[in-house]
Amino acid sequence: MKLAAIRPITLALSRELVLTALLLLGVSVVVFVILYLAPGDPFSVLLEGQTPSHEARAGIREALGVPKPWYAQYLSWLGGLLRGNFGTSMRTGLPVFGELVRVGFHTLYLTLGSMLVTLLIAVPIALRSSVRGATGLNWPLTMLAYLVSALPVFWLGYVAIYISIHQFGVFPLISRVSASAGPTWLYALLPICVLGIGNGTLSEIVRYLREEMSRVMVEDYIRTARAKGASVWRHAFKEGFLIPMTEIIAAKIPFILGGAVIVEQVFNWPGMGRMAWQAAQDRDFPVIMGIAMLAAAWVRVGSLLQRVVYVAVNPRASKEGRRVGRAE
Amino acid sequence: MKHYVQVASEAGESSDRPVWKDADTLDLAYVGYGLLIVTLVLVSYVLGAFKWLPYDPEYIRVDLLNAPPGSAGHLLGTDFLGRDILSRLIVSIQAYFLPGLIAIVISLVLGTGLGTAAAYRGGKVEVLVTYFNNLVDSFPRLVLILLVIAAFKPDIYYIMVVVGVTGVPVCASLVAGKIRFLRQKNFIEAAHVLGLPTHVIVLKHILWHHCTPLLVIQATLGMGEAILIETSLSYLGFGVQEPTPSWGNMVQAGANYFFQGKFWPSTAPALAILSTILGFHLLGDGLNSILEGKRGT
Amino acid sequence: MGAPLLEIENLRTYFYSPGKQAFVRAVDGVTLAIARGETLGVVGESGSGKSVTALSSMGLISAGPGVISGTIAFRGDEGERHLLQGLEDYVTLHERDGRIMEVSKDETGWQAHVERVMAPVRGKGIAMIFQNPRSALNPFVTVGHQITEAIRLHTPTKDPRDAKARALDWLERVKMDSPRLRFDNYPYGLSGGMCQRAMIAMALSSEPSLLIADEPTTGLDATIQSKIVGLLAELKSEYKIATMLISHDIRVISRLADNVAVMYGGTVVEYGPAPDVLAARFNPKHPYTAALLASIPSAQNVRDHGDLSAVEGEVPDAIDVPRGCRFYARCNRVTDDIRNTCARQEPELREVAPGHRVRCWLYGE
Repeated sequence: MKLAAIRPITLALSRELVLTALLLLGVSVVVFVILYLAPGDPFSVLLEGQTPSHEARAGIREALGVPKPWYAQYLSWLGGLLRGNFGTSMRTGLPVFGELVRVGFHTLYLTLGSMLVTLLIAVPIALRSSVRGATGLNWPLTMLAYLVSALPVFWLGYVAIYISIHQFGVFPLISRVSASAGPTWLYALLPICVLGIGNGTLSEIVRYLREEMSRVMVEDYIRTARAKGASVWRHAFKEGFLIPMTEIIAAKIPFILGGAVIVEQVFNWPGMGRMAWQAAQDRDFPVIMGIAMLAAAWVRVGSLLQRVVYVAVNPRASKEGRRVGRAE
Repeated sequence: MKHYVQVASEAGESSDRPVWKDADTLDLAYVGYGLLIVTLVLVSYVLGAFKWLPYDPEYIRVDLLNAPPGSAGHLLGTDFLGRDILSRLIVSIQAYFLPGLIAIVISLVLGTGLGTAAAYRGGKVEVLVTYFNNLVDSFPRLVLILLVIAAFKPDIYYIMVVVGVTGVPVCASLVAGKIRFLRQKNFIEAAHVLGLPTHVIVLKHILWHHCTPLLVIQATLGMGEAILIETSLSYLGFGVQEPTPSWGNMVQAGANYFFQGKFWPSTAPALAILSTILGFHLLGDGLNSILEGKRGT
Repeated sequence: MGAPLLEIENLRTYFYSPGKQAFVRAVDGVTLAIARGETLGVVGESGSGKSVTALSSMGLISAGPGVISGTIAFRGDEGERHLLQGLEDYVTLHERDGRIMEVSKDETGWQAHVERVMAPVRGKGIAMIFQNPRSALNPFVTVGHQITEAIRLHTPTKDPRDAKARALDWLERVKMDSPRLRFDNYPYGLSGGMCQRAMIAMALSSEPSLLIADEPTTGLDATIQSKIVGLLAELKSEYKIATMLISHDIRVISRLADNVAVMYGGTVVEYGPAPDVLAARFNPKHPYTAALLASIPSAQNVRDHGDLSAVEGEVPDAIDVPRGCRFYARCNRVTDDIRNTCARQEPELREVAPGHRVRCWLYGE
């Protein structure tokens, strides 16, 4: 019995894996096509202010693999990606892969931390209002969630910086890396909180969790659980909390990464977002390509993890094949 | 002769009572505030287009820097170059309005098309549309925009095309969900049995009669998104360039003075962003609750 | 015989309908009693308040701001409890013209109070089985785990392995085929009938004093229905557990019940021993019961190709409750002598034979 139960789950999971791989392939095509269509030579920025000889131009073309037809270019680029070769930055000349790993970790701290902050605020509000129904506190909390999600995150950042300078005497604009002397977590805390509150997903997370929890609370099987004197929370946990939580987190990863671009700019945080901003200004193609790929990969991996949880938790998942999770 | 009542009726849809009679007071307040903001945006757009402004938004007054609101005829004060903030706020709408509309049109047209195709044809088309939606959703919007900026140039129309395309999946899945719901009620099949041509069914009976509220709501929310993206980009320095004002670059320009305790030049545009985005969100959610019977936050 | 196990007196459960801005009188003055070992059948159309009566006794009324009054005394193994005691503290009513104009309720306090009072009763004192068993079982938890949970919560068996053995035992007693296999199954893999057997096993495994079966055969195929009724009959003769059996199906009631309460419009209109109440030709009886009995196809009818009669008219509006007899508008046995009384005054439940009471002016003074 146990063995027979495992097989559909493995099947469902391998289907998800294949889907993720196909989507990442699509992502690489999109990124490539956008940059392939770009006007002008990608390296003209690099040679700005010089008038290179014809030979030099051809040599650089050769080095960048430009003269090949587009599909050959794509395949060699993709082959490079798969071997971890993302090219070298046009601005710094460093290999992009190493740079990505370095900034990727900084952004990972920032996004995971801020996700935690968002959830610490959203979950209690959602649970409270779904279990207790409309109470006096409900309306102000709702309004607050609306206000916060409409707040421009950069301005929120300024307010936070101002308060930290004038109230606590801490200047949070020194990047985490260079502030080796002081307590680094203090510098990290402020941007994390600002992104956690201001990433614009707060009110949607509250709403989604509350809707799902309220929907589950009136299910027949919850009534059965109450009738037999069992813990309602334990019976409602999987469908009412775990599944919607993972769904909404996976769905909101892109938004938080987008918010990170701005918060990193405000706080001078040495992450992917700041690097993307720099690369967009310099038209540093290998870097921006690498960042786009990495960001998309995060989104897909988040989504994959959500599916893994869903399939593991829901005995019906391997049979019914629910549409790939989008929180609506 | 026997009359059949239309089967596909949803809450409140089939009755002749105007919808707002049954609506929640709170939802009406949301919609009221949202409509006020929409009106303000439209009026500001017209004022800016005809240059009916209290001051020239780019006129520099060295004698009156960072003036507080209400001083010397400047209703909302002046910025770090002594330029009138009110005029600059009004003119900023120019930067959002048309590009925002373009983004919305792209989202709605593409989204409706894909959503209809997916739900109507099903099978392979549906798989492809789902793939497309997931593909677009894989990119953080701002990262995709930075990619396009790097590849092309920081042009607001390119950017709004990206915003439009990234808005497609939400719209497509909402429309597809709606059509699936209608299919369950068999009334599309009934229309086929009656011999109506497919395009009439899709355009008139499905999209016009049942999806209009949904599309209006999406348009509203989409406008809010477009404004938020534009302000973010202006803040990052890729949107509207100084001296032409936009809310994003106004916040950014005021930032240095913010830390010196001169909050206003940066806060005024931030409040404009806040109240406008809030207006579009509340309008969308209020309409959603009233027209579609879905409870918002 | 002593005091009954469960005694419901003058139970009223009203729901608020925001659309109509009025209270719906789902249950409006129900009085019932169940003795130890007795099976009480509660029968009536949908909307007559049978299920709401059961849910009120379990403190499971959660839909919106409901108001409950009356007394429910439950005398289980742990002594007598009054299940509705103290609830009135959380509600204030203002009534005008028989319609409640304004009600304020401390929802949070009410709910917390209900949970406090009901905690020792649910599962242990009173267990419940529901209609549509496939949705009543938790789809995310194996059948076996749901039964062992009840055992470990309510019986001295706490060890997981012992509990599993007992659960398997119960699955066998409810005639589940291949119980060891089903133990590890999730409800979605089981048929409706198997799910209901699992539900019954789960309810009985906590060894309750009273079992409430709310439409246990509704939502099942016809052949499965009769098997489940058969199982309930066997369990009844074997364990002698007191049961409140709620059904709209008179055949189910007649097979299992010792006493029958016929409900109409939120009240009990007839109450008595099952053979008397359900005997087709027994007189006197309430016109509604007579109409209900006439609407079941019996072997006799089928053989004679006789007409089946439906109960004319519709269930009365539970908001504007008629002032007179609730059944007056649909009654086909009103005589000219009593017509005025029927329209103006609600009849009492009056004893017409020993232990048999009817709420009808036909049997008045």
